[in-house]
Amino acid sequence: MNVSKAGFEAVFQYSGMFKEGMLCTIYLSFFTVILGFVLALVLAVMRMSDIRPLRFLALDHQGRLREQGFLFALSRINPVSFIATVYVEIFRATPLLVQLFIVYQVLFHKDVINLPAVTVLGFVKLNRFLPGVVALALNSGAYVSEIIRAGIQSVEGGQTEAARSLGLTQGQNMRYIVLPQAIKNILPAIGNEFVTIIKESAVTFTIGVADLMAAVKAAQAGSFRILEPLLVVAALYFCLTFPTSKIIAHFERRMRRGDKR
Amino acid sequence: MATSGSLIRVTGLKKYYNKGAIKALDDVTVDINRGDVMVVIGPSGSGKSTFLRSLNLLEAPTDGSIVFDGVDITKSHVKTAEGKTVRLNIDEHRQKMGMVFQHFNLFPHKTILENMTLAPIKVRHMSQAQAEEKALTLLERVGLKDRAGAYPIQLSGGQKQRVAIVRALAMEPEVMLFDEPTSALDPEMVGEVLDVMKGLAREGMTMVVVTHEMGFAREVGSRVLFMADGKLLEQGSPENIFSNPQHPRLQDFLSKVL
Repeated sequence: MNVSKAGFEAVFQYSGMFKEGMLCTIYLSFFTVILGFVLALVLAVMRMSDIRPLRFLALDHQGRLREQGFLFALSRINPVSFIATVYVEIFRATPLLVQLFIVYQVLFHKDVINLPAVTVLGFVKLNRFLPGVVALALNSGAYVSEIIRAGIQSVEGGQTEAARSLGLTQGQNMRYIVLPQAIKNILPAIGNEFVTIIKESAVTFTIGVADLMAAVKAAQAGSFRILEPLLVVAALYFCLTFPTSKIIAHFERRMRRGDKR
Repeated sequence: MATSGSLIRVTGLKKYYNKGAIKALDDVTVDINRGDVMVVIGPSGSGKSTFLRSLNLLEAPTDGSIVFDGVDITKSHVKTAEGKTVRLNIDEHRQKMGMVFQHFNLFPHKTILENMTLAPIKVRHMSQAQAEEKALTLLERVGLKDRAGAYPIQLSGGQKQRVAIVRALAMEPEVMLFDEPTSALDPEMVGEVLDVMKGLAREGMTMVVVTHEMGFAREVGSRVLFMADGKLLEQGSPENIFSNPQHPRLQDFLSKVL
C-alpha cells in the first residue's frame, strides 16, 4: 500500500465532508466537556457529602456515641454517596462502546426518548448527535468526578484549619482557599481528560454521528483510497488535541506562580 | 462579662477516641484570664495540642464546656440577650481567636498581603484599602513590609511564621492561640518568632502557647500548665513550676528537658 499525491488529491474532493466532520467532532467534544464537568461536580459533591439519615442510630439509650456494632454500621450509611460511588465504578468498569450503544439503542429508542429527526448547528443530525454527547458525558463525568474529588482532598487539611480559624465559613474556605489550590492540582489531569474526549468521540461514528471518522469512511468509499484519508484524519485529530494540551499547559504555568522561588 | 477577668472558662473538657480507650483530653478545667500568657507544656502525646485546638473547636470535644466571652461555644444553640434561642455561629467566635500553627499554613496561592487581607475583607467586610493599610502596618512591625508582594514559598520558615502571626492579628483577635509555633523552624529562626511573641505579650495580648521552649515559658509566661496523658496535672506561676515542681511526672519531665 503506497501513499501518492494523486491519492491525497482524491481525498481533497471530500474536503467539505472533512470540514463538517471536524466541526462535528469539535461540537461533540465541547458539549461533552461541559455536560461531563457539570455531572462530575455533582458526583464529586455527592461522594464527599455527609448525609446519613440513620445517624441517630449511632446514639445509644444513654445518648453516647456507639463506635461499633450493627447499629453503628447502619448509622454510617450515606445513600447519596453510595449512589455516586456505584455510578462511578460502573461507568469506569464497562467499555465506552457498550455504554454508547445502551444509550443510543435503549435510552434513545423511539419508545423511550423519541428525538425528532432534525438538523441543528447547520448540518448536525440531532437524533444521532445527542445520544453521542450524552453517552460521552456520562462516561467522562465518572472519570472527572474522581479527578475533582482527589484534587479537593489533595489540599492539605492545615489550609482549611487556617481559613476556618480566621473566621471564614465553610463556603468561603472552599471558594477562596481549597478550590483554587485543587484546580491547580487537577488541571493536568483535566487537560488530559479533554484531549481524551476529543479522541474518544470517534466512537460515536458507530451510531451514525457524522464526525471526522464518518468523513474518512465516505472518502475511502468514494476514492478507493484507504491510507490517505486515514492519514488526513490522524493529522486533523492531532491539530485538535495538540493545541488543546498546549493551551491547558499555558494556564497551568500561570497558576503555578505561587510555587516559584 | 467583665465582672471577672475570665476570657475563656474551660470546664471538664474531654476528648475521647475509640469509645474512651484513648483519652486525649481527660477532664481539663482551667480559666484563661484577659492578659494571661498561658504556656502549656508536657511530653508529646499529652493532649496539649488537642486542648489548644479544642478552644476554637478545630477539635470537637466529647464532653465539657468552653465558655468564651460568656458564650458556651460547645453548644449548638445559644440564648440571645432577648431570650431567643439561635444557632451558634462558630465562625463569629473563631474570628476573635487568632491561631498560629506549627506548619504556618499560609495560603500558598496568595501573596503575603493577600494572605493578610483575605479574612478582614471577606469576614469583617473591611475595604481593600483599609485592610491593606492595616496589613502593611502589621508587616512593618515584624520587619517584613518589603515582602508584601512575595508568595509564601519565597520566605524562610521564620518569616512565614511571623507572617502567620500578623495574619491572625489582622483580625484583631481577643486571644491568640499558638500551637508549637517554633517546632518546625530551623534553630536559628526560633529567636525571631519568639521575639514577636514576646512583643505581643508585653502589649497585654491574651495568649495560650503550646511550646517546648522552656526559656519562653519561664521568661514570658504568666501561668504555666503541665499536661500529661490528657490530664492537667499541675499549674502555677513559672517560678513555682520550674523551681518547685510538685507532681512526680512534672519533676520527671523537667529533669529531661532542662
